[in-house]
Amino acid sequence: MKRDIVGLIYTGERIDQLRDLTRIRSVAALPVLGRYRMIDFILSSMIHSEIHNIGIIMQKNYHSLMDHLGSGREWDLHGKRNGMTILPPYMSRDNVGVYEGLLDALRSNIGFLRRSKERYIAVTDSHILFSVQYEKMLAHHLENGADITLLYTKDRSARRNGAGRYLEVDAQGTVHQIECDPSIPRYENTYMSAFLVRRELLIDLVDRAVSAGYHHFTRELLTHILRDKSYKVCGFECPGSVWVMDSVESYFKANMDFLVAENRARIFNPDKPVWTKLRDEMPTHYMDGADVSNSLIADGCIIQGRVENSILFRGVQIKPGASVKNCIVMQDAIIQRNVELAYAILDKQVTVRENTRMMGPAGYPLVVPKALTI
Amino acid sequence: MPRKKKCVAMLLAGGQGSRLGILTRHTAKPAIPFGGKYRIIDFPLSNCSNSGIDVVGVLTQWQPLELNAYIGSGSPWDLDLSSGGVYVLPPYMKAGAGEWYSGTANAIYQNLAFIEQFNPDYVLILSGDHIYKMDYADMLAHHIEKEAAVTIAVRQVPWEECSRFGIMNTDAQGNIIEFEEKPANPKSNNASMGVYVFTWQKLRDLLISDEQNPDSDNDFGKNIIPTMLADGERLTAYSFNGYWKDVGTIESLWDANMDLLQTPVPIDLHDRSWRIYARNIGMPPHYIAPSGEVSGSLVTEGCVIKGSVKGSVLSAGVQVEEDAQVIDSVIMPSARIAKGAKVIRSIIAEDAVIESGCQVGEEEGDITLIGNNTVLKAGTVVPAGQQVSKEGSTT
Repeated sequence: MKRDIVGLIYTGERIDQLRDLTRIRSVAALPVLGRYRMIDFILSSMIHSEIHNIGIIMQKNYHSLMDHLGSGREWDLHGKRNGMTILPPYMSRDNVGVYEGLLDALRSNIGFLRRSKERYIAVTDSHILFSVQYEKMLAHHLENGADITLLYTKDRSARRNGAGRYLEVDAQGTVHQIECDPSIPRYENTYMSAFLVRRELLIDLVDRAVSAGYHHFTRELLTHILRDKSYKVCGFECPGSVWVMDSVESYFKANMDFLVAENRARIFNPDKPVWTKLRDEMPTHYMDGADVSNSLIADGCIIQGRVENSILFRGVQIKPGASVKNCIVMQDAIIQRNVELAYAILDKQVTVRENTRMMGPAGYPLVVPKALTI
Repeated sequence: MPRKKKCVAMLLAGGQGSRLGILTRHTAKPAIPFGGKYRIIDFPLSNCSNSGIDVVGVLTQWQPLELNAYIGSGSPWDLDLSSGGVYVLPPYMKAGAGEWYSGTANAIYQNLAFIEQFNPDYVLILSGDHIYKMDYADMLAHHIEKEAAVTIAVRQVPWEECSRFGIMNTDAQGNIIEFEEKPANPKSNNASMGVYVFTWQKLRDLLISDEQNPDSDNDFGKNIIPTMLADGERLTAYSFNGYWKDVGTIESLWDANMDLLQTPVPIDLHDRSWRIYARNIGMPPHYIAPSGEVSGSLVTEGCVIKGSVKGSVLSAGVQVEEDAQVIDSVIMPSARIAKGAKVIRSIIAEDAVIESGCQVGEEEGDITLIGNNTVLKAGTVVPAGQQVSKEGSTT
């Protein structure tokens, strides 16, 4: 199998709207869907597109991400010829180790770009949950004679007033305009902060953009390229739904969407498993008195109470008389007797004491930070 | 050249396990699924890993393909090491000859060269027939302290069951003075667990001389241990008091699965200090639909439950459709119980399909078994104790 694409994942996004969920971790390490981190889905698309050489650019709070990825074994990214390269920030005379934008990160890691052997490079952010076949994106790139191909979606749930990047794409698939943070987006195509380009060209672009004083790939470099028409920029539509994690509310809704079978089928293909770090938990034990409905439950839970419209991560305990509705409960939480929870997101290792009632407003869930006892 | 090891484990995984009927027709017993996400071999392999024994030879013979694929590089048990790890050891051709493993002792004899590579002081002999958590390092320390030629792990069993086991009679110091195979009138109820620690030089010499005896069955229980007793070697018993269950029959396999549902549970698999590791299947969390009802059961990744599940153990990727009922049963990976089907006191093997309206098993009587990849046509009724496979049914 020809392996002509190297992958590069940028995990340095700052998304303040995720509040406590990303205070202690990068968005790439955000726990989702009961047993995963965001990066698992990015890696999954790449691995199943025969991308086996992947660089991961770290920025702030990358401890939990490093811990999650380990040697890359779970993703079969621990080989000798191929595998995962962790690219942490570092300081040197012309690099302070803090990236204002993707372009800074690319510049600091230009060595990785130079050392890679693949002809093409796929670069992506880590705050969107999606599934794409990069080999199809490359075929589209070649057919259209593109210099740069941008991944976009028509999924309306990805649109935000006053935020995001939107593309004007013509019938031939050529991108003409890019809107950044418009108050009301004009174009129906939301750019997914992922692109494919010839590796040598990217090195060249980064070199020149840096000398022009740019920090941001999309807002500065891409906008400039489109204005100059100096390169042919094409769009490739990511089929189906995508889930943008840019706020607590969108994170909550995205997780809840996976209670619907069609959405699970979109992302979980039995032939293309989504790998993640193992915990070697035993199956979940439903004790007598458990009452669970419309919920996604990971392994290692012990359930004695009621769970409805919720997502339980690994190792959660629900004691008798407790009721959990419309909640996301991350790993190792303990929900004591007669607790009542609704519209809450409990970060890892939270304990909720007996008889506590905690009800968030629908659509605007409460967030309980990691390791808190309430 | 491998480095010297203090102790090497040899896991006997080559038997057919014929008492498991159609379950082991196409797969080796140690590869049989257990407890929702494990295979039987996960228990001895995890015990080795947790005990710090990092060279494990797995002797395979009967239908080894699924077992070999499952073991792979040994990474799930942290047994993929530069200085050791897990080795799958099928019989092989040697200087002009080659033969199947003819007995448990012969299997080890045929792998003398493998063991010698590590120049071990001790060899731990294990089988792939039991569900238990045991610290082999503690048993090894006991063996060294007693300066024994062999240490045999024993567990007290109910007196009425002694006639199913090899019984070890000991003196006050714990030395074994007599061995009775399946005695009708037992003198003690210390059953051999089939877990042995041998001082390697002793075992090596015994295996070589046993092989030269044409009348020997080349079996540990029948030949090696009685010979050692006759020779006046020091044999000590190591008492084990934890959970230990044979899963060699349909009934006992079902029983051991049901044990996991008891409160308090007799073998705690949540125990973080003694994890039982298993190969990862990469499935999403399981989903319980609004119509689903689950109680007193174990459910794992990839399951989709739209019907009712009570007192059962479900493996990865099992589907229970609307109005289906699964009661007191063991459902192995990726089996599907279609709409309105009822499964009671049964084992449904991997990838089997129970079509709508089927009635499998009964509240009373023996456990019913549906074999791998078997499709039970809609409306079929299978009575208690019957075994149905792709090839047909038997009782």
